[in-house]
Amino acid sequence: MSNSRHHPAPMSPVEQRVAALEALLTERGLVPEGFIEQITRRYESEIGPMNGAKVVARAWADPEYKMRLLADGTAAIAELGFGGPEGDHMVVVENTAATHNVIVCTLCSCYPWPVLGLPPAWYKDPPYRARMVREPRALLAEMGCPLPEEAEIRVWDSSAEVRYLVLPQRPPAAEGMAEAELAALVTRDSMIGVARL
Amino acid sequence: MTTPLSLSGLDLPRRNGELAFDAPWQGTVFALAAAVIEHAFGGDREPFRQQLIKAIAAEPDRPYWESWTAALEALVPALPERSTP
Repeated sequence: MSNSRHHPAPMSPVEQRVAALEALLTERGLVPEGFIEQITRRYESEIGPMNGAKVVARAWADPEYKMRLLADGTAAIAELGFGGPEGDHMVVVENTAATHNVIVCTLCSCYPWPVLGLPPAWYKDPPYRARMVREPRALLAEMGCPLPEEAEIRVWDSSAEVRYLVLPQRPPAAEGMAEAELAALVTRDSMIGVARL
Repeated sequence: MTTPLSLSGLDLPRRNGELAFDAPWQGTVFALAAAVIEHAFGGDREPFRQQLIKAIAAEPDRPYWESWTAALEALVPALPERSTP
């Protein structure tokens, strides 16, 4: 992938625009040497849903950590070493048998990067952004997450101020598991709220 | 963090079947936005976010990273002088 930055094939229009931006911003001194490679590598390999899975596993394993996590998400997540852009004001919302939480960004694609990485394609698409607010129950069912009629659905619209993370319910089968095993059960979609475990 | 996790940090971002970027230019425009936020706006994400909201609203069906490109292009004329050396 890194070689294709110097690929001999002609550039597409959008590639040309990005190359022009890169040249302009570099000339203005805004792009330090190696910065692009460093950022893309970080988001391709170091930052992703495994971070959120560790947070969820810790909350399942340690009731006091869970209390701290629900009281101040940013601080409790920082305890595990995760933070940074798009994670300044983290609010963790807990799923229960009676309440199901799901996150969306209606205006653009705000998403808790430090714990989930970059958002999946469908999260950024207009149908998800519109329908999760308008008809969450129907959309969740279509996405393979049917909920009982009596379950309350809470839809959290991410904003400039707040990023949400769903704390999924611990599956019954997880009783007695070690934290590392618990983390392996946690999926990205369960932390967005479009799946239950 | 005391318990070592058995999961490799490298395979999980792909575990849900999606890579962060489908093509190198997408990673580049993402990193350029990060550079502008960090080095021109002192870490304030809001100017870029407002441009991204406008870019998405203007063409809701445009591919996502092309909206990032449009947002960054729109932001360039508004760039303040560099705030960090």
